[in-house]
Amino acid sequence: MSAATQATNLLEIRGLNKNFGGLQAISDVNLDLKSGIITTLVGPNGAGKTTLFNLITGHLKPTSGTISWLGESLLNMAPWRIARKGIGRTFQDLRLFNHMTVQENIMTVMERGSWLWQRNAIDRDRVEQILQETGLESKRNERAVDLAYAERKFLSMARLMAAQSRLWLLDEPASGLDPRSFERFVSLLKSYAARGVTICIIEHNLDIVIQLSDTVAFLDQGRLLAQGSSQEILKDPHLAAIYFGER
Amino acid sequence: MLAYIQNIIVLFSINAILALTLNFIMGYAGIFSLAHAIFFGVGAYTAAYMALNVTDSLLICMLAAMVVSALLSVVLALPALRVRGEYFVAASLGLQIIGVTIFSEWKSVTGGLGGMIGIPPPVLFGYTFSSTGQFVGLSLAVLLGVLVILALLVRGSFGRSLMAIRDSESAAQAYGKYVNAVKTLSVAVSAGLAALAGGLYAFYMSFVNVEAFTLNMSILLMAMVIIGGTGTLLGPIVGAAIVMALPAALTYLPFIPSSELGTIQQIIYGLAMVILMMFRPGGLVGGRGKEKSA
Repeated sequence: MSAATQATNLLEIRGLNKNFGGLQAISDVNLDLKSGIITTLVGPNGAGKTTLFNLITGHLKPTSGTISWLGESLLNMAPWRIARKGIGRTFQDLRLFNHMTVQENIMTVMERGSWLWQRNAIDRDRVEQILQETGLESKRNERAVDLAYAERKFLSMARLMAAQSRLWLLDEPASGLDPRSFERFVSLLKSYAARGVTICIIEHNLDIVIQLSDTVAFLDQGRLLAQGSSQEILKDPHLAAIYFGER
Repeated sequence: MLAYIQNIIVLFSINAILALTLNFIMGYAGIFSLAHAIFFGVGAYTAAYMALNVTDSLLICMLAAMVVSALLSVVLALPALRVRGEYFVAASLGLQIIGVTIFSEWKSVTGGLGGMIGIPPPVLFGYTFSSTGQFVGLSLAVLLGVLVILALLVRGSFGRSLMAIRDSESAAQAYGKYVNAVKTLSVAVSAGLAALAGGLYAFYMSFVNVEAFTLNMSILLMAMVIIGGTGTLLGPIVGAAIVMALPAALTYLPFIPSSELGTIQQIIYGLAMVILMMFRPGGLVGGRGKEKSA
């Protein structure tokens, strides 16, 4: 048996549907995200990949179906509660805390449970480690808005690392990266996967799909059409035709 | 001349407290409120009511003003904070209009348009504040206290949470921030501390009526924050000083006829805002632009 089939389910999605008025954005999706496994979501634009992330993180409410995390239903749970369960995400448009410094972006994520009267002892060593791993040490006091594009991408990852989430949902994290940054990004992701972080990536870059994926899920028009190894999915001529818009 | 300067210092302190507390929600949490004068008013009326009917103790009157204002802000903020950005501005404008109507119509408590008169001087540990000089010390002490409290808040984890929410509410939620609670708490802190300015104002003037708490006041406070620099601690104080000093400075310009002072003052405010937004969108103290230049 492969590692992907042996691992335990962290997140289970069953019969998930999401309608926007007359548009069926997600249609009867069943998907398991297994502990320590890297899953890549692929599919053409408008397939429903980001909508699926938004449903998992509570930013959207499903029309029907269930999403459970370690057996606990996430339905009707606010995004901040879901985040505190251990589900972290990045956004396609990054949504950095633009007018805060790099260091503040990291620190505020680490202080997630703080109130007026609580003093959160920041783990400075952890902050340093994250800055080092993302190559942002020299940029620590710069505002996020003033960073270069690749640095902004790495800051987006740094926030996720600071959140200490067990599941990372990455929405096109490598898009627009230059080759050198891309290599660093892949090795960063591999190192966190090796430490037991479960990762689900939306990605159009087939290099990422091939290099990183344990399993690939193919979505089209809100439906999960196929799931398997990257070899199986990428070699399927029917899926390739859909992906490249030739159907 | 001394009394004139002392008067300016007291009024400056009151305005600086209001600008600081407005900046706390506007500059750090991104909540643009046009109803800040209402919490100033609630503080003033509560302190005045307490002093006239219950006790002249400064501590008790101020505490009551803070509690009433903070609680009221929570009640008003809970529904209003469900909307964001420009929608909240519109909602706060509604609150401002409702507040002014209540101040002017709830005659049994606020005295209606005539207001409340004969507010006794406050007493603190047996010491009575009755002269302008005494109020200078008191108002500066309160200003310093408010500044320290806000500095501690914005430089700590709460301040970072506020700024994260200001920059991206959805990302803040995705990283575990309980956005509604943090925003509501920030509004309560802002309103509670703004009520201190209201209490000071009521005791200093020994009279309150609705004219001090109108939409004009809310807009003027917003101008102080923007001119000084949103999201900075010093900015609102500088903004308050400039807005307060401008009318006094204009009176020393001999070529401006006194009958035109008000008009020229308005034009200068307007021009200052336009020029600042063009060249220093972060305000005089903020300095850096809000977005990266191309």
